[in-house]
Parts: sequence; structure tokens; C-alpha cells
Amino acid sequence: MVKFTDLITRKFQNIAGSRYEEILKAYEEFFLTEEEMVIPDIKSILIPLDRYTTTVPDEVYETISAYPNARLQLVYMIDENVCRLIRDTLGEEDAKKFREKEERRASEILSRMRDRIRELGIAWAEDTVFGDKSEYVESIAGEYDMLIISKHYGSETTRTHTVSPVVFRIVQYVGRPVVLY
Amino acid sequence: MISTGEIIALSVFSGVYALIMSEKIHRTVAAMVGASVIMVLNIVPWDKIPKYLDLGTILLLAGMMTVVNIARDSGLFEYIAIKTAKLSKGDPMKVLLLFSVITALVSAFLDNVTTVLLLTPMLIYITRQMDVNPVPFLLAEVFASNIGGTATLIGDPPNIMIGSAAGLSFNDFITNMAPIAFLDLFVTVGIIYLAYRSAMNAHSNRSEAITRSIMSLNEEDAIKDRVLFRKSVVMIAAIIVAFFFHDRLGLQPAVIALTGASILLLWSGASPEYALEKVEWATLFFFGGLFIIVGSLVETGAIDQLADWMLGYVHTEGQAVLLISWFSAFSSAIVDNIPFTATMIPLIKAMGNSMSTYPLWWALSLGACLGGNGTAIGASANVVVVGMAYREGIRITFGDFLKVGMVIMVATVGLGSALIWLRYVGL
Repeated sequence: MVKFTDLITRKFQNIAGSRYEEILKAYEEFFLTEEEMVIPDIKSILIPLDRYTTTVPDEVYETISAYPNARLQLVYMIDENVCRLIRDTLGEEDAKKFREKEERRASEILSRMRDRIRELGIAWAEDTVFGDKSEYVESIAGEYDMLIISKHYGSETTRTHTVSPVVFRIVQYVGRPVVLY
Repeated sequence: MISTGEIIALSVFSGVYALIMSEKIHRTVAAMVGASVIMVLNIVPWDKIPKYLDLGTILLLAGMMTVVNIARDSGLFEYIAIKTAKLSKGDPMKVLLLFSVITALVSAFLDNVTTVLLLTPMLIYITRQMDVNPVPFLLAEVFASNIGGTATLIGDPPNIMIGSAAGLSFNDFITNMAPIAFLDLFVTVGIIYLAYRSAMNAHSNRSEAITRSIMSLNEEDAIKDRVLFRKSVVMIAAIIVAFFFHDRLGLQPAVIALTGASILLLWSGASPEYALEKVEWATLFFFGGLFIIVGSLVETGAIDQLADWMLGYVHTEGQAVLLISWFSAFSSAIVDNIPFTATMIPLIKAMGNSMSTYPLWWALSLGACLGGNGTAIGASANVVVVGMAYREGIRITFGDFLKVGMVIMVATVGLGSALIWLRYVGL
């Protein structure tokens, strides 16, 4: 007696050949994986900001609004390496001016975001940090469930390279979902 | 008195049939070995081989395979699958109906195996998203594919063989078989719904998430080559339109398919090596081998003897319609409908001395195409869908298939044979 599963498997192989694998491969681009199908439970969101993050689009606030119970952490990063470079080449005074200018910029951006987040009724905290932009984000990303980050974070982007290398590095290293805007 | 030639021809035919059924070796190899024996023993002389080798069937299949291979690279079929999934919006009833209608429609013009190979992954994906039992949806797809294939000259290999052998036009199939297929499709969906209605409920508390997840699929992403996509759509549409006029143009369907394939190759700039390499040569050689083996039965007079024996019992066209449709249906449910049709064609031709064969061709088409719905091994599309389901961890047993398949087969063949009988025999 021929076993049904063996017969079907043999017949299937004879009829479909390698076509099934080729078709599945083509579909892989559209289908969510088992892992992606599980909607992550987001309780905390990290939003790194810097001098290249000039505007935060409405889509980011819409994304945030999908997680009303999440806690937001806004972090404005002042680049420690740039500050050291200015101090070494131009002197302490210019380094101080750079830092003050960055702190003013941080205050403006955080203030604008604060108003929008308040409208959404979501809990948030904010901070201005002096450090390495990628290393700092990588070191604290594990404490958060999701990151929302500008494609321009960390450096200028170009027409051919629309995502900054700093963002590339962060996306590669952090084991958390990242929303790029 | 049976001649030695007849004994050899019948032995080769039975042996090849048994090998095809058991699938111990590839059906193409079985047919080629059988044909080689016939030729080596000179049962069919070499100069008569072209008479039995039905080039109308082989070249029509080759032409359509080339067109499909080129179009496939544009992402056309994935586009259709995603579009269908989105139209259903995650409603199980709409998924059942839309996938059945689209599968039937595509199968009516392209080969059933390609259709189900391309649509089934999407169907499995969305049933998983909906968290419903995928079995009724997969079964509906199989049945719809076989029913859709019944509707046209190019929909299913038995129809291509019947059309070529009997000189029936594309429009003959549209007027005779398409209305039957249309009614049968809705009867089938109704039966599936009644048999599995409890499985048709998606989880209402997740319906919004399911809809969102399905609607997030973007059909535009499926298009790999937009220019090729447009050219493929235009050429497939042009080929289908040309089929409607082939008899008025005095062109064989195979000429239409080959011309369409040539124009698409020229227009798209697709690599002929690649497009022709993907033609299912194994299938074409399978047909070639079968034609020679069945030719040996004709050549030795075995078919004429069988026809004479049958005519001793069948005296009217009405009896012949009912006998051929039901015998073909039950036979095709068990054995591959391609060798079965190849055997029946010369038999019906031989019956032409005593009665009009015109309604008998429709009875054969009906039985051979829809009989495949009876069992899981009745048609290639069934095997492909059940095989894909196995690979995805979904079990459709022989019994599962048989329970629904036999009901569908009896209902659709019953309806179809009644319509043919009413049309050509009358009350």
C-alpha cells in the first residue's frame, strides 16, 4: 500500500520541481515573518535628537500616539568629540561657545516637542547629554522597547546616502525595533 | 483474435499507466520509455509518428508556457495575489469567494499548476493572518482551478488535446463549457461554505488588526519590472482576444500562442535562453510519449475493437454523453486525466461512424477536467496544493479531500452532463 504522504510528496516534486522554492522566495519580500507578526509590547521609547534633527515630522507624533501607555525619553546629544576637536584647535573659549549654542538648540527642540507630546497626553522625560552620539545611544538602547530616530542623526546626509552612517551603526547594533524618519 | 502488435501495445500502455499512477518513476520517463519500446519494435512505423504526435497540443502548451515564464518575471502573478488579498479585507467569506473566482479566471487562460503555485502561498499567508482553518480555502482554490480550466480551450491540457484532435475552436469551448464552469463554480463555493461554515469565522476581536495587516501589503512592491509588467499584461490580453478570433482568422490556437510568445520575446527583450529554458520540457515530452503510446493502440486496431465493443451497448448520443461524462469523471479521479484523455480521443473518433461526436467531446471535457476534483491525486493542481500545504504544516488527508471532492465532483459533473444532455439530446 502506497503511503499517501509519500505519493503526494513524490508527485509534488515531479510536477512543481524547483518552482515552488522560487515562488516562495519571491513572496518572502512581502510576507511578514513569524517574528514580525508578533506586535511588540512597547512600554518605553527612546528618541535621540541632535543638531541635524532640525524638524520632527507629524508622522512621528502619529506613531507615538499609537502607544499611549508608553514612557518617552527625549535625549538631545551634544557631540563630545566635536567639542574636544574645537578645544584642541580653536581653544577653550570657542569650545564653550559651541557647547552653549548646542544647549540653546537643545532647549528649542525639546521645547517644541514637549508641547506636541503634552497634547498627546503621553508621559515623557528629557535630557541633554554630552557624549559620543552612537556609543551613548547603543549603551542605553537596551533599556527601551523601541527607538525613533532621524535618518540625519549624527551627520549630514547626501542625495546618494540618505541615511547617516551613525544611524546605520545604531540600527545594526541595537537589538530593538527602530523607527526611522 | 488479438495480434502480437496489439498485445505489445496494450502491455506497454498498461505498464506506463501503472507507472504513472504509482509515480515510482517520473511520468515523463515512463511515457518516454513506453514510446521508445513502441518505436523500437516498430509497432508504430517511424513515418507515421507525426500523424500521432499532436503538435497542436504540444506547441500550444509550449507557447503559453513561454508567455507565462516571461510574465512571471515581471511580478504580475504576485501582484494579482496581493490585490485579491486586499480586496478581501480579511473577511473569510470574501477570501473564499474572491480567491475562488480569481483562481478560476486565471486558470481559464493559464495553466492550472502555475496558477495554484502562485496563488496558494498568498492564500496560506492570509488564512494564517485570519487565524482560521486554511483547509476549506485551499480546497476551494483547487476546485476553482479545475473548474476554471474546464471553461476554455486553453484552460486545461485535456481541453487542449480535445480541441486539437476534434478541431474545436476557442469559441466552441466558451459557448459550451464556460456557462457550465460558471454555474459549477458557484455550486462549489456553496458546498464548501456549507461543509465548513463554522471555520469561516475570523476572530472578531482581532478583525481590525487582521484587516490592517492584510491592507499593509503593497501590490506595487510585487512589480519587479514595471515595463515588462505592462508589456506582459498587454500581450496576455492580446493573445486572449486573438483566441476568440482564431477560427475566423483561420489560425490554429497553437499558432496564436507561439506568435504571442514570439512577439513578447521580441518586445520585452527577455533572454530567449532563459525564457525557453523554463518551458516545462518534461511535460511536453510526457505528452509526446503518450501520443505515441496511444497511437500504437490506434495503429494496431485495439481502439477500434474497444469502440465496436462499446457501440454494442451504447446506441444513442444521450447514452454516450452520460456514459462518457461519468466514466471520464470517475476515471480521471483515479488516473491522470492527460493519458486518460489521450486514450479517449481516438475512441470517440472511432464512435463517429455511428453517431455525431460533437456532444461527446463536451462530455469528455467535462468528465476529464472536473473528474480531477474527486480525489487528491485526480489532477496536478490538487497534488500541488496538497503538497504545498504539507510543506507548510497543514495536513489535508486523502480522506479529507475525498469527502468534499467526491461531493463536488458528483454535483458539478451531474449539473454539467445534465446541461449537455438538455442542449444536444433534449427531453
